[in-house]
Amino acid sequence: MHPSDGTLRRSLDEPVAVDPARREHIARCARCAERVQRMGADATWVQAMLTSSDRAVDVPSARARLAGTEIATPEGVRARGSTGRLRSRNTLARRVMAGVAVAGVASVVLVATGGAQDFLSLFQPSQLAPVPVTAADVRSLAGLASYGTVTGGSSIAFLPEPDAAAAGAAAGLAAPVVAELPAGTPAPKYAVVSGGVVTFTFNADLARTAAARAGGQLPAMPSGLDGSMLSVSIAPAVVVSYGVDPAALLNGEGVPSGIAFIVVDTRTPTVSSTGVTARQLEDYLLSVPGIPTGVASEIRAIGNPSQTIAVPIPVDLATGSSVTINGARGLLIGDSTGLGSAVVWQHNGVVYAIAGTLTTNQVLGIARSTH
Amino acid sequence: MTPTSFDRLFDEEYARVAAIARRVLGDPAAAEDVAQEVFLDLHRRFGDNPGAKAPAWARTAAAHTALNLIRTNRRRAVREERFAPTPSLSNDPEASVEAAETTRAVRAALGRIPRRQATVLALRYSGLSYAEIASSLGIGVNAVGTRLRRAEARLRKEVGDASV
Repeated sequence: MHPSDGTLRRSLDEPVAVDPARREHIARCARCAERVQRMGADATWVQAMLTSSDRAVDVPSARARLAGTEIATPEGVRARGSTGRLRSRNTLARRVMAGVAVAGVASVVLVATGGAQDFLSLFQPSQLAPVPVTAADVRSLAGLASYGTVTGGSSIAFLPEPDAAAAGAAAGLAAPVVAELPAGTPAPKYAVVSGGVVTFTFNADLARTAAARAGGQLPAMPSGLDGSMLSVSIAPAVVVSYGVDPAALLNGEGVPSGIAFIVVDTRTPTVSSTGVTARQLEDYLLSVPGIPTGVASEIRAIGNPSQTIAVPIPVDLATGSSVTINGARGLLIGDSTGLGSAVVWQHNGVVYAIAGTLTTNQVLGIARSTH
Repeated sequence: MTPTSFDRLFDEEYARVAAIARRVLGDPAAAEDVAQEVFLDLHRRFGDNPGAKAPAWARTAAAHTALNLIRTNRRRAVREERFAPTPSLSNDPEASVEAAETTRAVRAALGRIPRRQATVLALRYSGLSYAEIASSLGIGVNAVGTRLRRAEARLRKEVGDASV
């Protein structure tokens, strides 16, 4: 039996709230997929149409304004609304002003969103640009490790921090601030992922063996390639999480129900090499047997690997599209089943990533209010 | 002095109430006017200790008050001047004008579709969860998706029909 329109619609916004059996049906049923696609198109259209020029709401000023709507008269206190309405109320101004004095200023909401797994994948040296990949492609690319040795990845640690200030101080980079959180978002938790250097050292002997296993021969090697190193320097990152424990995610645990997302920022990683240029090493690795031709050509099209971050997008699970986040180009990764979305963008030398159990509209809304 | 529960409610809900009105009106300044009106009315009705149902009341009131503005054309001229065009990557003036026209058409359509459908759109697209919408509207959470789906289809059809 097919799920109702209401269930299908909710599966787009709150997939984890939908019964797992129904989720599975939706994922497998062509008719339901078509209905979901139509609903998603309408929802995207409505979202775009109802977008307005957002600005942060200054709550203390709003309270002062509410207090100022009351005016004293010989007969008592009258309240004058913002459109000139007169209202009776004899204590509102005092209460509101007292509240302003006690509560202080809290008009900016710190928010964060993101996906730990997506975030970490940015910094794996075999994944350097917006490149659609299939599961088979990923397995092939992982095979690059058999062409040399990878060191340094295990030194990257995940360290909880008590608050945004501590996380910012530890990372040397201000924690990301999100002006508008989805309703019902849990309180944030902060952490820092320590920086480090991940190095791939090319080994000609290992590469020959791997190429033979793949049924081919190594192309002619540029001078200096054997023993050359490609290093990716990863700066510390601030991770702000809502409704999810990133450490648990990294340990392979599932995403809890409800709103769950993380926001990450970090300095743009840098790539360096010895022996040959990063571009030469990349070109060579992309020409060896076993590397999918389409993936190789797309990675080559990215350009200089020392200047571009590659983000693999599993085409079986999601689609990627170019977006603009407050003037900066970004990459939106939308889960085609509505189970999750992520967006990555760079601005002024900082990489931002947001991912979680969000629709693409939600993740874009959060991104555009993040700084 | 100790803040009252009205003060706390104001702090916790004001931004959300303004956001709901903004989805309907497309204009942050007009939306804050609505939020002010909602909280004035809320205090008049519930006093210093509004109780647990006040947040739901305020959210629904924000949608209804904003929709009333559209429907009665009380502030039509101001609103039309203030309506912000849909964000566009284009610097093309013609495209901007077209976007502004579309935005106006959408807000007008919001005023024509059934109020309960327009309300669920305002609540959902200001970020409320299905559970929060259900609580605000006094309906079951399972009914939210159905109502939302119908509202989205209706709004799109309404705008499409109007532009033909």
